[in-house]
Amino acid sequence: MAIRSSVLGLAGLALCIAQAAHAQDVYKIGTAVGLTGYAAASDRGWRDGQLLAVDMLNAKGGLAGKKVELIVEDNKSEPQESVVVYRKMMSNDNVQAFASGCVSAGNFAAAGAVVRAKIPMVLCSILPPRPEEQKWAFSVLPPPRFEIEARYRYIKEKTNIRKIGILHDPTPYALLMKDIGVKIAQDFGLEVVATESYKQDDPDMSVQIGRINGGGGGAIVKMGQGGSTVTTAKNIKQLGLDNMLLLASLDDGAPLKQAGEILGERFMFPAPGVQIPESIPAGPAREAADAFLKVWRAKYGDRDPNAGARGWDAIQVIAKAVEIAKKTDGSDVRDAVEKVTGFQGAFTKFNFSPEQHVGITENPYVIGVLRNGQFAVK
Amino acid sequence: MTSRATTFTRRVATTAAPVALVLVVLLLALNSNGYVVTIVGFAAIYGIFCTGLNFFMGYTGQASFGQNAFAALGGYGTAILTATYYWDPVAAFFVSMIFAGIVAAIIGYPTLKLRGHYLAMATFALGLITYEISIEWIDLTQGYMGYSGIPPLGVFGFELATEKQQLVALALLLLLGVWISTRLRDSRFGRALRSIAGSEPAAQALGVNVARYKLAAFVIAAMYASAAGSLFAHFVGFISPEVFGAAMVIQSFTMLFLGGIGTTWGPVIGALIVSMLPEVLRGMHLKELQDVAYCIILVSILIFAPKGIFALIGEGVAAITRRRATETAPSAAAAQAAG
Repeated sequence: MAIRSSVLGLAGLALCIAQAAHAQDVYKIGTAVGLTGYAAASDRGWRDGQLLAVDMLNAKGGLAGKKVELIVEDNKSEPQESVVVYRKMMSNDNVQAFASGCVSAGNFAAAGAVVRAKIPMVLCSILPPRPEEQKWAFSVLPPPRFEIEARYRYIKEKTNIRKIGILHDPTPYALLMKDIGVKIAQDFGLEVVATESYKQDDPDMSVQIGRINGGGGGAIVKMGQGGSTVTTAKNIKQLGLDNMLLLASLDDGAPLKQAGEILGERFMFPAPGVQIPESIPAGPAREAADAFLKVWRAKYGDRDPNAGARGWDAIQVIAKAVEIAKKTDGSDVRDAVEKVTGFQGAFTKFNFSPEQHVGITENPYVIGVLRNGQFAVK
Repeated sequence: MTSRATTFTRRVATTAAPVALVLVVLLLALNSNGYVVTIVGFAAIYGIFCTGLNFFMGYTGQASFGQNAFAALGGYGTAILTATYYWDPVAAFFVSMIFAGIVAAIIGYPTLKLRGHYLAMATFALGLITYEISIEWIDLTQGYMGYSGIPPLGVFGFELATEKQQLVALALLLLLGVWISTRLRDSRFGRALRSIAGSEPAAQALGVNVARYKLAAFVIAAMYASAAGSLFAHFVGFISPEVFGAAMVIQSFTMLFLGGIGTTWGPVIGALIVSMLPEVLRGMHLKELQDVAYCIILVSILIFAPKGIFALIGEGVAAITRRRATETAPSAAAAQAAG
């Protein structure tokens, strides 16, 4: 009996030591992503870009001498599920950093617990609202202002349209854009004749489009992603508004292509360089985008690289921070992310600082259209 | 003698065993990490929600697809009162509950004149309207941005700072909720509700004021739902409209039917299973098959225990006590004859 107990005890001890050794050899990054639900289109791309980045880092020998492991959990695009999966990754997987997807409410809901555990977060979404949470959170999402400015500039400089309508969904990012859009329109000599809202699953936008048209709006600046863009394009065509322009949001390539096929070059969108690589001049930006696109296209072919590039960059930002910190502890990595400046990613350049936790500080967009079945600069 | 033994066995099966189960799960959670605490915490919150819903759907036999509306009232009421106006969480909790009860009475008075599918549709609309309001009334609810900065549960300045402390509070509130449910179920009030579930015309013929009792059950269910919403807000520290969406209705129905609708402990057992099963499957690394396995297990349980798990346990206990009674009856008769 005593021998049996001793053997069991030793086996248990060996298992603990083996697990501890494994934990020390691996740097775990957690990602809570909406693989199902409304965020699936962007978050699947984000996750796939992250996996490519992790493979690339491990091929180069890992981070701080450790193998990098990405722990992926589906939050079903729901805040409650996000809380559960964040807790699972913190308690069971002992992740040391988070690089989570675009479900803002999910990231907000879990932020309190993540901050208490002193784990840095590099997010696809906007930053959580509370200052103490923002201290530990970093965003690789372009500030909403850039999307609006790119579109307003195009309308001001390339068209005679001076009256526009805003069409937005109720998501946090779209609401932020809407407020900014209304506020800065005058700076571009534009008048917002109508601000209309819709739900992501609305099957028809004719009423909202009709109001914008009735107010004299010559262009619709749409704020919101997904199939609603295609619905809007269809409705513009059905209403016979042959001169109306539609300028959509940053989005996955699939709905942008469908909308472009309906409206031709009257449909435009703010495109990051990685979505139209030909638009990037030769230099470090082009090299960074090409490095990503090479592995992305090898694995995913013609699939849109927009979300994947940001996922790739999120992992690269964490890698850069670990390189600066020379440590993998949460606090050290958090402090080091604030020193990641001038870092050229596949999506764009990132400039973090203690005051700047939204890393994209230069407008990365060009105005894109669908031309001969391919995205091109307008 | 036999009757006492039977009563004792039934009490053990229907009261002591579920209480022991809740306490065992609580103790296991308290000795586990934050992940387990979170899952069990959500199970307790849903247990409270479903116990309330059971008053209306189980005891009274009515249909409500809109209880998420009252959870939203509780959640947002608590969030606004504590995070914006710095109220004590307990005061915010009770004020939100009372408010939800008043709203339920006002809405329920005309709505509960409907029956069957029409009542189901009306209550479903109530849930949808509340969901839309929570999205659109941004000044009050902050829309999809959600409400953050909600303090943990606490009373008179004493905060339950750790999640484990909060879990203990949630478990106690759950037990209190079930105790109230048990007491009311076995009271005159509860018997009136159950008579309505059996047959409304028959209940009316027996002198039961059907409309008033239905309204009372609806208000009680709304107050439980409000309490669950408030507790969710305190436990997570954040709420947004999605938390109180249609998914909440579907999940609570699953819990109710799986555990045993109309039974006192069924909703709690259902909440525990539905909350923990996905995580058990997640731990088995099934990944893509997780949802499929979850659905297969749920359907299997409903096929083999159509009245719910608690009813199945109840039937099992009844069968055992019947067998014991038939075994002891001849020997007792023989002893009497010998005496």
